[in-house]
Amino acid sequence: MPSLQEYLQLAPEILLATAGLLLLLIGTVGRGLGNRESALVTMVSLALTAGLLFKMYPAYHDAAGPVLILQRSFVLDGFAFFWQLLVLVATALTVLLSVRFLEEGNYRATEYYSLILLASSGMLFMASGYSLLTIWISLETMALASYILAGYFKHHVRSNEAALKYFVLGALSSGIMLYGISLLYGAAGSVQLDELRLGLERASAAGSMLVPLGWILLACGLFFKVSAVPFHVWTPDVYVGAPTPVTAYLAVASKAASFAILLRIFYQGFGSHLQSDWQHIVAVVAAATMIWGNLAALTQENVKRMLAYSSIAHAGYVLLGVLAVSEIGLWAVLFYLLAYTFITMGAFATVILLERKEYAGETCADYAGLAQRSRFLAAMMLVFLLALTGIPPTGGFFGKVYLFAAAVQAGWTWVAVIGVLTSAISLYYYFRIVVYMYLRESTQAAPAPLRAPALVGAIAFCAIATLVLGLYPEPFIQLTKASLLPLPLP
Amino acid sequence: MFDWVHSVPILSIVAYVPLAGALIVIFFLKNDQGSAIRKFATGVAALDFLISLPLWFAFKSGGDLFQFRESHSWIQSIGVKYEMGIDGIALLLILLTTLLGVLAFLSSWSAIREREKEYYVFMLLLQTGMLGVFMAMDFFLFYVFWEVMLVPMYFLIGIWGGPRKLYAAIKFFLYTLVGSVLMLLGILALYFYNAGGLLGRPGLGNDPTFSILQFHEIGHLIPHDLQIWIFLAFFVGFAIKVPMFPFHTWLPDAHVEAPTAGSVILAGVLLKMGTYGFVRFSLPILPDATRTLLPWMAGLSIIGIVYGALVAMAQKDMKKLVAYSSVSHLGFVTLGLFALNGPGINGGVLQMINHGLSTGALFLLVGIIYERRHTRLIAEYGGLSAVMPVYATIFLIITMSSIGLPTLNGFVGEFTILAGAFNRVWWWALLGSLGIVLGAAYMLWMYQRVFFGPLTNPENKGLKDLTRREIAYLAPIVLLCFVIGLVPGPFFKVMEKSVNYVVAKVDPMLAASASSTAAAPISSGRTGE
Repeated sequence: MPSLQEYLQLAPEILLATAGLLLLLIGTVGRGLGNRESALVTMVSLALTAGLLFKMYPAYHDAAGPVLILQRSFVLDGFAFFWQLLVLVATALTVLLSVRFLEEGNYRATEYYSLILLASSGMLFMASGYSLLTIWISLETMALASYILAGYFKHHVRSNEAALKYFVLGALSSGIMLYGISLLYGAAGSVQLDELRLGLERASAAGSMLVPLGWILLACGLFFKVSAVPFHVWTPDVYVGAPTPVTAYLAVASKAASFAILLRIFYQGFGSHLQSDWQHIVAVVAAATMIWGNLAALTQENVKRMLAYSSIAHAGYVLLGVLAVSEIGLWAVLFYLLAYTFITMGAFATVILLERKEYAGETCADYAGLAQRSRFLAAMMLVFLLALTGIPPTGGFFGKVYLFAAAVQAGWTWVAVIGVLTSAISLYYYFRIVVYMYLRESTQAAPAPLRAPALVGAIAFCAIATLVLGLYPEPFIQLTKASLLPLPLP
Repeated sequence: MFDWVHSVPILSIVAYVPLAGALIVIFFLKNDQGSAIRKFATGVAALDFLISLPLWFAFKSGGDLFQFRESHSWIQSIGVKYEMGIDGIALLLILLTTLLGVLAFLSSWSAIREREKEYYVFMLLLQTGMLGVFMAMDFFLFYVFWEVMLVPMYFLIGIWGGPRKLYAAIKFFLYTLVGSVLMLLGILALYFYNAGGLLGRPGLGNDPTFSILQFHEIGHLIPHDLQIWIFLAFFVGFAIKVPMFPFHTWLPDAHVEAPTAGSVILAGVLLKMGTYGFVRFSLPILPDATRTLLPWMAGLSIIGIVYGALVAMAQKDMKKLVAYSSVSHLGFVTLGLFALNGPGINGGVLQMINHGLSTGALFLLVGIIYERRHTRLIAEYGGLSAVMPVYATIFLIITMSSIGLPTLNGFVGEFTILAGAFNRVWWWALLGSLGIVLGAAYMLWMYQRVFFGPLTNPENKGLKDLTRREIAYLAPIVLLCFVIGLVPGPFFKVMEKSVNYVVAKVDPMLAASASSTAAAPISSGRTGE
């Protein structure tokens, strides 16, 4: 029986989940809290969680190896710390994005924020999960809250459609994943990652067919969560239909947490004897994701849909780092997703500022002449678009360079070549927005940006972070280097 | 007198003065203060030129290869440094950049009347980017400047360009970006080979670095097949920029649509980045690959020379004609560089400067007449020498400079290039000289149709000759054309050491037997095979 002491080591995760549940409870009493009050409570609980994380970090950072707790099903290490911090930052930005948006639509706020908190606590658990079962349950915690969030505009067909699609396909992928897990359990006799690794090695040596079948099914589920081709079909519809702050949240936090478990399972759960197998599959998936994500984005008129395809493409770039299985590859992934958090949050925040009545103001044409209407907003969007394309001096550039570098170093040159070429192509669709903002005249119908200090603050913060990550990445590289997973032993 | 130059980070100052100017314009000048913005921005460019001038006097031809060096740590974890420094070749290109910068700013005063604030901000940012490219001694830093510079150029074409500006701007950006990302892969391959190894090969085990000098040191140790791949990756990046045939198709579009100042900078400086890349990176770092691929490089150069000239001859639009003439002239430059001997590279580098001056001037001249008549079609003109005598005179001098008349700069450059090419393979020079003949033909034919004959078109009767401002920005170019044509010595001297260095790197055998002696057999160009 685990001691209370051990449970307390999961205090950050537990705190966030409790805050989410409390908020949900308050929501049932009378009319609940107001929008701003709920947002404040959310921010405070996020800050407290972050504080706890920082307070606990030195204890296990100084330990010789990863600290495994609760019957070795959770782990405390730098890697988990990094993702948890990233999720908290992304969630805080999401809250900033949501305040004005909820007011505009006049939706109930308390439940909204409580769902956000619950989803985030799921992500924290994902980052520290160290057994397939704990990881899977955390993933479901996140997913269930996300399904509801995607359908939060309950009077709108598009939002309903998004929620339904997300739920059906998400449940399917979770099922496939669970099936894979059960096969792996059958082969290895454990779901705890260390034991799994050893068990799989034994089973493979004995020629068990359960192993390849199991890990491939599990990988499919993971690819679905990071929206890699060909498991991406849900992404555009869900991203377009969901309320925009939720879209940003899914595109950033949910994707980051999914990459965390993908790395954890591939690097620590699968033994090195499977490495070459999964590398080949990841290579093909990465190439397909980069190609299809970028090509499909080329023709999109709706900015949210374009950003959805672009987020697919970016998952492909990140897979390059996963594929390399090297120190550079690993920190490139961490660094890139850090930069991507600020870039994507910033871009979606700009979209929100131009939106009207939930879905209006989302097409490229709505950006016509933005540079004349709001020089600031146009300049910020320019920074985000340059960063998404990977042009210096932005964090997007630096991150991408190192993803490509990792692939070249590891010998996956052909995938890297596809990566750089598709990333050059992406310039075309990102700069279509630039064309509208700077090179076209404003039309009468084009909306003026909202007045929303929280949003503008979030945008400015994201833009500054994007530039700092590009101009002076050193401290952030140190952070990511302190958060690496042990590489699979050769 | 110029010792102080060595005690300040002069290169950073030269590079960032325009950036500082741009920030001041952004934050302290209002949209409607057009005249103030114009004057301030031009003042910044002029100041930058003045600051860059002492470089010429303080540079010691016999001193270190790279001078005025600055080095600061930047991204330690991966060995990226902020490292600046220039040799004689970069020095010439930097002076060309700051000078053409001032002239381009001056020429914009009357041409650009809308969104002036943004215009001058982008022009200033562009200056910083270009100067940084020539100064960077760290490959990563180089790449950052190389890419950063694309953004302002995109806006210059896209906002203030001609009717097909959107198409031209994105085409320019996409082409160069595709080239540069492939170059990036080449850079990364070099980086890993110098350090821990890549693609399953062991590396040299040095500390990870992007230092260009370090790459110069270890370049020849790279196995031949890897060299070829890296060379090709670089080649795409540089060849698109030059542009070499068949990568030139973005150039006519970009030139024709760009505003005059944009064309001047594009032709004068941006294209030189490609040729600079060859002489700074491809040749010294990848000597074996260079020698193996030499016939291809020379072949593409010669095709570019002849093809560019023939297409130029068929143009009806003056600006397009000048644009295609650039393809031909840059073919000369690459032919000289790939002669891989002293005269060839000397001539190639000098011709970069010459082309910057004469083509820059031609674009300015075409811009002047376009501002007055809003057409660039040759057929619209004729007999202009009667109404615009000063204009006609300057145009004639520049035409002569462009086609290589002795006493003017073009002659010196082309002659040395052909001498170099002749030393390498005699018939390269023969084919290359075709370009000179064709060049004379299309330039003089255009001159004849525009300036001579009766003044038939009534709209041309009232054309005003050059204003004082226009003369002011053309005069320095005309002067320099004569200076380089009459006393080229100092220009060769300043780059002598760098050129010898490159020659020694790329062809040790040839350097030993002194480049001026008998023609090297073509077989020596294939030693790598």
